[in-house]
Formats: sequence, structure tokens, C-alpha cells
Amino acid sequence: MIVCVAVVGHQNNPLYIQSFTDADDALKLHHIVHCSLDVVDERVNNPKKAGPTLNETFLGLLYPTENYKVYGYLTNTKVKFILVTTDLDVKDADVRNFFRRFHAAYVDAISNPFHEPGKKITSKTFAERVSTIVKSFGLSSTG
Amino acid sequence: MEEYPEEMRSPPVSLVSVVGCSELHTSISTYLHSLDPPINTLALPDLSKASLLLTPKPTTTPTSDSTAPPPAGILKREWLLKHRTKVPSVVAALFSSDRVSGDPAQWLQLCSDLDNLKALLRGRNIKLVVVVVCSNPNDEISEDQMVAVRKRADVDAKYLLTFYQNPDGDGDGSQLKESLYRLGSVFVELASKYYRDEGRRIKARIERKSSNPPELNIRYSFKVAVYAEFRRDWAEALRFYEDAYHTLRELIAGTSNRVSIQRLVEIKTVAEQLHFKISTLLLHGGKIIEAVAWFRQHNASYRKLVGAPEAIFLHWEWMSRQFLVFAELVETSSAAIQSISPLPMDTADRPLTEWEFQPAHYYQLAAHYLKEKRSSLEFAVSMSEGEIDCSAESVVPSSYLGQFARLIEQGDAFVMQPLNDEEYMRYAISEGKRFQDSFEIIALLKKSCESYNNRKVRRMGSFCGFQMAREYYALGDFSNAKQSFDDIASLYRQEGWVTLLWEVLGYLRECSRKQSRVKDFIEYSFEMAALPISADASIQSFRFEESRPAGPATILQRETINKEVFGLVSGELRLASIENGNDLKVCDGNPLHLEIDLVSPLRLVLLASVAFHEQIIKPGSSTLVTLSLLSQLPLNFEIDQLEVQFNQSDCNFIIMNGQRPHVAAMIDSQPGRRIETAPSLALSTNKWLRLTYNIKSDKSGKLECISVIAKIGPHFTICCRAESPASMDDLPLWKFEDRVVTYPTKDPALAFSGQKATQVEEPDPEVDLNLGAFGPALIGESFIVPVTVTSKGHDVNSGELKINLVDVRGGGLFSPRDTELSMDSHHVELLGISGPDGEDESQLNTDEIKKIQQSFGLVSVPFLKSGDSWSCKLEIKWHRPKPIMLYVSLGYSPDTNESNTQKVNVHKSLQIEGKNAIIISHRFMLPFRRYPLLLSRTRPVPDTDQSASMPSNETSVLLVSAKNCSDVPLQLLSLSLEVDGNDGTERSFSVQHGGKDLLDPALLVPGEEFKKVYTVTPEMNSSKLKLGNVCLTWRRDSGSEVQSGSKASVLTTHRLPDVNLELSPLVVSLECPPYAILGDPFTYFVRIQNQTELLQEAKISLADAQSFVLAGSHNDAIFILPKSEHIIRYKLVPLASGAQQLPRFTLASVRYSTGFQPSVASSTIFVFPSKPHFKMVAVGDDRLESLVAE
Repeated sequence: MIVCVAVVGHQNNPLYIQSFTDADDALKLHHIVHCSLDVVDERVNNPKKAGPTLNETFLGLLYPTENYKVYGYLTNTKVKFILVTTDLDVKDADVRNFFRRFHAAYVDAISNPFHEPGKKITSKTFAERVSTIVKSFGLSSTG
Repeated sequence: MEEYPEEMRSPPVSLVSVVGCSELHTSISTYLHSLDPPINTLALPDLSKASLLLTPKPTTTPTSDSTAPPPAGILKREWLLKHRTKVPSVVAALFSSDRVSGDPAQWLQLCSDLDNLKALLRGRNIKLVVVVVCSNPNDEISEDQMVAVRKRADVDAKYLLTFYQNPDGDGDGSQLKESLYRLGSVFVELASKYYRDEGRRIKARIERKSSNPPELNIRYSFKVAVYAEFRRDWAEALRFYEDAYHTLRELIAGTSNRVSIQRLVEIKTVAEQLHFKISTLLLHGGKIIEAVAWFRQHNASYRKLVGAPEAIFLHWEWMSRQFLVFAELVETSSAAIQSISPLPMDTADRPLTEWEFQPAHYYQLAAHYLKEKRSSLEFAVSMSEGEIDCSAESVVPSSYLGQFARLIEQGDAFVMQPLNDEEYMRYAISEGKRFQDSFEIIALLKKSCESYNNRKVRRMGSFCGFQMAREYYALGDFSNAKQSFDDIASLYRQEGWVTLLWEVLGYLRECSRKQSRVKDFIEYSFEMAALPISADASIQSFRFEESRPAGPATILQRETINKEVFGLVSGELRLASIENGNDLKVCDGNPLHLEIDLVSPLRLVLLASVAFHEQIIKPGSSTLVTLSLLSQLPLNFEIDQLEVQFNQSDCNFIIMNGQRPHVAAMIDSQPGRRIETAPSLALSTNKWLRLTYNIKSDKSGKLECISVIAKIGPHFTICCRAESPASMDDLPLWKFEDRVVTYPTKDPALAFSGQKATQVEEPDPEVDLNLGAFGPALIGESFIVPVTVTSKGHDVNSGELKINLVDVRGGGLFSPRDTELSMDSHHVELLGISGPDGEDESQLNTDEIKKIQQSFGLVSVPFLKSGDSWSCKLEIKWHRPKPIMLYVSLGYSPDTNESNTQKVNVHKSLQIEGKNAIIISHRFMLPFRRYPLLLSRTRPVPDTDQSASMPSNETSVLLVSAKNCSDVPLQLLSLSLEVDGNDGTERSFSVQHGGKDLLDPALLVPGEEFKKVYTVTPEMNSSKLKLGNVCLTWRRDSGSEVQSGSKASVLTTHRLPDVNLELSPLVVSLECPPYAILGDPFTYFVRIQNQTELLQEAKISLADAQSFVLAGSHNDAIFILPKSEHIIRYKLVPLASGAQQLPRFTLASVRYSTGFQPSVASSTIFVFPSKPHFKMVAVGDDRLESLVAE
């Protein structure tokens, strides 16, 4: 199950962060998302270590915490998408698929002429679309 | 890691024992220890004491009976220690040779000792070495005796050694060394054999009995691995440790949580030990990736094995220890990590991530599990409250690893009694209570935090720091907590993580409340209240734990904080202090002042933007200044009074709130302070409060608004640095929010370009500065520029005149240094500044002329009253033709009071051209109708310089002309030829000129030329003639008009080129009368002079001419004798009158193969029609020879 998704801007500021859990660990998830930015930095700054993931928007598993797995995605405009999931067995293809759809939703949201680039995304449509994508996560491969 | 016993942490070292001959033990054990790998030595002084060391093997041999009860434990606690320190692999029996060769009683004693030893060793497979010590190389033992000893000891011949001991020293000690070497190699061989045999023996047990209980298999595998380690066979050790580990894992695979508490503890303890061994071996082998993967697997296998709920804290403790130990292992081998640089990201099942190679990651998780342990322990303690049981005290670790038992005294002996789970739990809880986990957690987090920060992993570091600070906070260590929180808050502020910042600020606020720091408390409260937490965020259900001091991140909470802080600053509320018990409030004795600068996080609370409406203002005239205030606090508030401060303190003013007239009374009215009243000073969220006022400054220079001080309530002030709207940074945090952007000023243009500073101009000068020069300057003369300062209203005090000469082509370079650079070697220079009334420079007061350089001058101007004037003259000299710009600036102060008045500056500039006045040229000529043959002219050599050449021994004519090329008439004072160099040397030539020197100055109008003729006769026999310089003195012809040029004469020189002197071999001269008369015959001589010592052959020819009848040879070849002259005569009768061409005479020299023909001009003669009648007038010699020609 996806517990949190986030869009992080150029200055590593959160543009959109939404958790999908009933437990009171929203703050903890914020911390996890924030910490995962270190890994993104590390991968972007030392691309030779990253090896096969070079030149790819999908950054793969960023870091394993005890209960969560964190995946990252970096758009060409250096906006980061972060996904936190509690599933222990996650297929790479699922995550890639998720990020692809999430990216499309993001592009649509910021294409709104009333959206100012670099500001938080407050669009309700975007939020609804994201929650749909989150709910359908993993269903495509299992079903 | 430190809590593990030493024998676990270090690789095992082979152990041997030496018995007897105690005097040798030190040298043997030192030698063995220095081997690589080292061998530890167990020494016994006497053979008969050997039994003390080797206790008889326990009689219970491992039974093969499968029905036997399962073993009581997995690993014996003492086994490893025993093999490392007590059970030797080899025993060496040392005895001196005299015991063999000596009396029989000793021999018998030795035999019985050896028998005893053999009996001891037999059951254990320990190898025996017999060493006969010879103290003297001479006391040989016979072969028979050796055989007897060997038979008695039942050892191979190889293992019976003779040891040469040299108590007296054998010189170099080589015998001792050799003996030690032999002994060492035997020990190494036998030790390795022993450990291999033991390993094989145990291995055989594993293989033979597949039906062994798994506990025994684990034990055997462990033993085999340890024996392999003794032999340094790491691969086999690793394999058997892993076997043991996997077997252990199978032990509880199916049983899940049904295992008893103690059983699980034992299994985990064994697993921990096996895991530690495996990780150490992997890391020492440099297999960091395998080690990390192994740890991950270890973690995954045991994480879920929490065991019974009441003992869960034991599980967390165990987990925490796993992470801690692994972190320490990774850290100690971190050198190895650095070398493995490109991490292969994809291993078999799951990619490894960067942090899994960092000890910090494991420290952090160790802290995490320790926190889990603490909370479960607290729960367990609270559950067991009241059950006070002192029986826990006698619980000790039992003989099996991971097991505990109660030690009971039974008579003299102690007996181990097993515990049941309940008893064990009581023991574990009472043990757990002894430790302060919080300090441990802080230490772990600190390590992790530092390690992350060292690697510039700031966010992870901050997260660890946050957890650490929370621990400090929970412990009540507020100063440490505050320090950590402050560091973290700055990162969150910078990156705009508002929710995280909110949390941290909540803690900080509580810390300062508890430390009774009112100012900090108010600052943090203000910042929290102004954070961009919008209504949207509150929809997201943030259900915070009760213990978090920040409260929910909602707009409601912000408003609550806002109310609280305003209550506090207005003095209505008090801050309940925890630390020293008394309440704190903002009051008379405790006023509060906040500073908000450009980087303060409190810019959210109050932002002051100041914009002048004009960039430049005149002194004394007023302009508008707009003051805009913005606050992001959720609730509206009113400011009682605003004070605006400028760098010119005269301009400061105060704005009163018109709605609160009672506050006005409280102001201590400073005299002269300007006070304005605004109808309202209320600030509402994200809405600019704009106030526009007139402002006026009398002082020129910069007028800048420094700060705006807002006063709220009687004891609270906020000082806000003024910011220019044009260069104002976005509000931190709020800049990411989707909010309405408003401008600080109504006029959007001003919002983009407005500045908090304006320039106040200088007052207009009321003094005239006049530069009187005109026309071009002439090179060489001192050009005079009159400068006049006329006051027209201002008094001139302490005036200073600055003069700058600037190359026009160099652009507007005002600085004196630059002009000097641009004018290489001063083509134009400022000679001097003379005072008014034609005073000389020297007569001026030396104080007044401050400075004169080539292109820069500074002169002081005396005090001038209004209407007065003062003038001076600048003297400038040109060396090259160059246009320059003359800048003159006058700085003065209009008031007599020098201290506070400002300088007024007047600038004037003038471009002046520098021109050449006179061009001098020269020409060499030969005498009329005389032609010396100059070989260099006939055959010009291309390489030689084209300098003029002159025949020596002949008189030549030099014509010097000077042309006025300026626009003004000039007076020529003198023209002379001067030879440079000292007069002592002989002149190599004589110069004469026909006329006398100039008596009166000759006037030379523009364009006119002045000529002078000299005859030059070389006198010396040299090849070069230095003619020297032509010196011409001149001055401007002033006439009657007032001229800016000086009266002084100017000397212009012109260098004459050097002339080559040549001896001409032949000289041809033509001689004929000055005129002829029609029909009247005359004689035409051609005189050829041979100046050489050689016979000269020449061919002559004469062409016919129309106007003359001619008698004489037309063509001939003649020979001219050396140093003689040949004359050819022609008789001519003119046939036509007028200027007629004489017959052309041509001469060709055979020797020099060159020809000669006189020029047309020189072979022309005037023929009168009849004999003219000349009136003879005596022509004086004093006639001016100088001709003035156009």
C-alpha cells in the first residue's frame, strides 16, 4: 500500500505531499520523504555510482527503512517525485508505471495557466487524480 | 561490540605448552609470539606439574545413543575460552641433558614423568615434543641415550629435539637462534596438525550422525569453524559458521512464537554470536557487499521473532544490539569501504542502497530499536510493579551460552538451578531497569548524526538530530535540546518544510518556556503563528500525539499562538515558568525589543519596505517616501506607534496611531522631533499597510532609511530593517504558497524600482569658472591659459582648483594617474600655475600651490567675497602635436563654517590642439657647371643607406629653409647651424654663408618660407661629415594685440643628416661666357680634370645644336694623364637670339664605364641680338644673400 507521495521542487521544498494512512504518522512520513532527498542528491551528484540508472528519470529504491520503502523519480526539470510504500515485495514495473501516471498528472496540473511554477500545487483535481492513481497501485500486475 | 568477550572479538591464536626448564620459557614464548601467525605459550616449570594444567577429560564421551536426552544447551559458554587459553595443541617436555646422561635415579624420574605426561595427552590427541636441553655444546648425548629417550616418550625422531642453551653466551647466539627456529617450526607443524585432526574428528561426527539433535550439529559446526580459524582457514571457518547459523535457523523455523522465552533468548544469543563471527570474517575479507547482504538477511530472519509479548523488550534490545555491533564492524572496516568505490547497485534479489554501507544508518536503527525497547520495558516494568522479588539477585549465566540459572548454595558447593520463564522475566526486568537507555539512545543518535553530517548528508543528519533533541527534551536537558533543534530548524526553514518546521518550533517554544526565556519564547511563537499553514493543511488529518508540544498544524492553532503571544507582549498574560517557579511577564522592568533583519525568520511577522518616490532630490526640496508594512500573522493587530529612522537623524519621524490618542501622551516628546499621525495603524494578514509622507533633507549625499521601529503595547518594540522594494527578497516559506501577490506600493513601477535610499544633490554653484585660452598651441612654446574664478552670489571658502590634462583619444580620463599612462613620456605637460597679476610662480606663497605634476595640478583659491574674482594662468607645454582636454574644477564651500558645510563643485573643460609652428628642410647642391664624378651616385648600391654624398675637396652648397605652417604670423629671430658635440674637436669642414646674420627679426606670415644658403667645404679626410643641427629661434608675432602666447622666444632645432664624403676621380667643368651676342663667336671650354694617379681614357662627343655654328671635334677619345687636366675648346657662333641650348656635350669614362651629360639648365645660354649696354652699378658685398621666395 502506498502511504505517501510527494512532489519536491528545485530548492528541495515540498510542492505537494499527501499521506494515505489513517495512523498518526504523517509527520514521520514527512521526515522520511525529506530524508530521501539526500539519496536523490547523492545519486544526481555521483551519477557514475548509479550505473545503469544513468539518464533515467526513475531513480529506483532510494532507501529502505524498517517499515517502508522509498522510491524516487526525477523529472527533466529536476522536480522530484517520492513514493513511500509499506509493501515489502514491490515490482519495479509497478513503481515505474505509477511514476509515469503520476508524472502525467503533474504535467497536467502545472500546465494550468493559473498555476505559478515553483509554488505549491493546490489543485483539487490533481489531488483526486493522485488518490486514484495511488488506489490503483499494484492492481494492474496482480489483477 | 565491547560487550563481547575478547576471545570472540579476535581471531584465535594457536596455543602450545612448554613444560620444564623454566629458565628458557621467556625466550621461547617471546620467540613464538613474534612468529607470523603468532603462537601463544602456556608455560609450566616442572614436568611433574603437568597434570595441573591438563585436567582429565570429562568421562562423558559423546554418546551415539539417539535416545539420549537432547543436550542442555547449544554452545558451552567456556569452550572457546578454554581452547584459547587452557588446552594446548602441542606440549613440549623440556629437560636438561644431564637428566639423561646423569645418574640413573634422575633417568628413572624422567621416565615416570614422561609416562604421566603421555597418559595425560593421550585422550586429547595433544601432540608431544621432547626437547633435550644442552647447556654446553660439548656435553653430547650418545646416540643410544637419544634412542632410549625417544622410545620412552614414544615420539617420532623428528619431534625429539636437542636444544642448545648457552648460558655463557656462544658469541653471536646463533646456536640458540637455530634451536629456537627448529622448535618453532616443529610447533607450527604440530599445532596445525592438531587443529586439523580435531576439526576432522568433529566433522566426522557431523557426517556420521545425521540423526544428531540439531543442537549438537550446531555445536560441532561451530567447533569445526573455530578449529579452522585456528588454522587460519577462513573459507572453511566461514562455511561452517554459516552451516551452524542455518541449522540454528531451522531450529525455530516451524515453531514461530511458541518457543519458550528462555529458549528464544538462547537461540538469539547463539545466532548473534554466529552472525558476529560471519560478519567479521566477511568484512575482514573485504567482502563488504556480502557482509551487508548477510546482515540484511540476518535482520530479516530474526526481526519477526519477537517472542512472547511480555518479553518483547528483550527482542528490541537484541535487535538494537545487532545494529549497533554491525555499525561498529562497518565503521572499523570503513577503510575497506572507501576502496570499493563504485557500488554495484543490483545484487541478486534486492538492490543495496547507499546508506546500507554507512555505519550511520545502522547507528540510527540501533537507536530506533533501543527506543522500542525502552517503551516496551517501561510497559513491562509497570506491569510487574509490586512484584518485588529479590531472588533475581542470585541469577547468573549458566554454563551454556544464552542460558541463565540460579546459583544455590548447598552446603559447601554451589548448584545451578534452572529458572522457569517467569523467574527469568523478573530477572530480565530487574536487569533492564539498571540501564539508562536514554543516554544510550542519545549517544547512538549523536554518532549517526555526526557521521551523516560529515558526509554532507544533511537531511538524514537533521532527522537524527531531531530524534536526539527529542530525547534531550524528554530528559529535561533543554539547552542541548534547543541547540539541536535550532540547527535543524534552519534547514527546514531554508527548504520550506513547513510541517517539520512547525514541529521543531513547537519544541523550541516549549524549551524556551521551560527555560523562562521570554524573548525566545515570543520569537518562536511569532514565527509559528506566521508560518504558512493554510486551511488546506488542516484538512489533512494530522493527529499528533499528545506529547508533541507544537499541537496540530492548523490555522486554528496558529491563531491560538498568536493570541497568546499578543497577550504576553501587551502584559496581560504571564509566561508560566517551570524552571524557577516565578512567572515572567513583559512589563516596565522587563521591556522587550525584537530585531528583524534581512535574514531573520521573523520577516514573516513584520516586513518593512521603504521607497523614495524620487531617486535624486535637491537639497531643501521635499519628496515623498512610502512606508509599507506587511505581516503574515493570522490575526489583525494594531501598532501604537511607528518610528522611522534615517541615516540623517534629522529626518527621523514618528507616526502615531490616530485611533489610540492615549498612547501619544506616553511619548516623551523630544523637542524638534517630527510627529505625524496616521488614521490607523492596523495590520491584517498578507495586506500591505501603506503610509506616504513628505521628507526633506538639507544635507547633500545619501539619504537612506535604516529601520522602522514598531511599538505595540507599552513595553514591546520590534525594530525592522528597512528594505527596498526593488531588491526585496521573497518572503521565506510564503514564497512557495499559492497566495495573492501584492505590491508594497500602489504604483507598481515604484514597487519594482523603488529604493530605500535617495541621493540629495549638491547645491547649485554660484561661481563662474572661465578658461580664457583660444586657438591652437604651438609646440615648444609655453602656452598660457588664463583661468578666472568669479563669484556670483556665493562666497568662496577654502576653494581648490584642480587641473587635469587628459589625452583626448584616451577618452574622459580624469584621474591623473591614468593620464600619465596614456601620455607616454609626457607629450604635453603642465609647467606651472602662476598667480594673478602676472606674478611669477616663485613669488606665490608656497602653501598655496599644493601640487603640480605633468598632467595634474592643484592650487588653492583665496577667500573670495561675492562679486570678487580671482585669476591665475596655467602654463602648458607641448612636445608633440597632440590634442588634449584640459579639465579645471573648482571645489569650494559656500559657508565660512567649515565643519558642516558641503563642497560645491564647478567643472569646466577645454580642448586644445597642439601644432607644429615651423617646418625646417634642407638641400645640398653642387657649384654651377662643375660636375665631379661620384661613383656612388652612378652605381647606387641598394643596401647602403640613402644618405646624401658629397665630393670631398670640393665646395658644396647647403640650402636651409624654414616654413611657417601655423595659423599665426611668427617672428624669426635667428637661424644658425650648430655642430653638436664638444667644441674641442676639430671641425671637419668649414661653413660659410654669403650674408650676415639677421639684424632684425624677420616676419614670417603663415605659409611663408625663409631660406638661407651655406657653402660647405670639407676639410678633413674622412668619409663622413657631421653637419650638426639647424637652430631656429622664433616667437609669436604679437603685434599690438594681446596674445595668449608668451613673449619668450622658442628654439626649434632640426638635425641635418650625416653626409658621405667621396673623392671624385674625374671633375668636368664647363666654361663659357655669361651671355653671347648674335653672330659673335665665343669659346666654350670643357675642362676635364683627372684627380687619380691613373691614366684615364674618356670618350667625348658633342651633339650639333640648331642655334649655333660649331668648330671643334665632334667625337674623340682622349687620354688624361694622372693628376692633370685636359681642356677641349669649341668655337661657337650663335645663330638665334634668346635663351638657347648649347650643343650637348657627353663624356664617357672607359675606366668607370659611366657617362656624363650636363643638365639642360646648366647648358643654356642667353644670346643677345646685339651687344647690350649695361649700366654698371657697384654691387656691395653686404647685399643680403638670403632670398625670400614664395
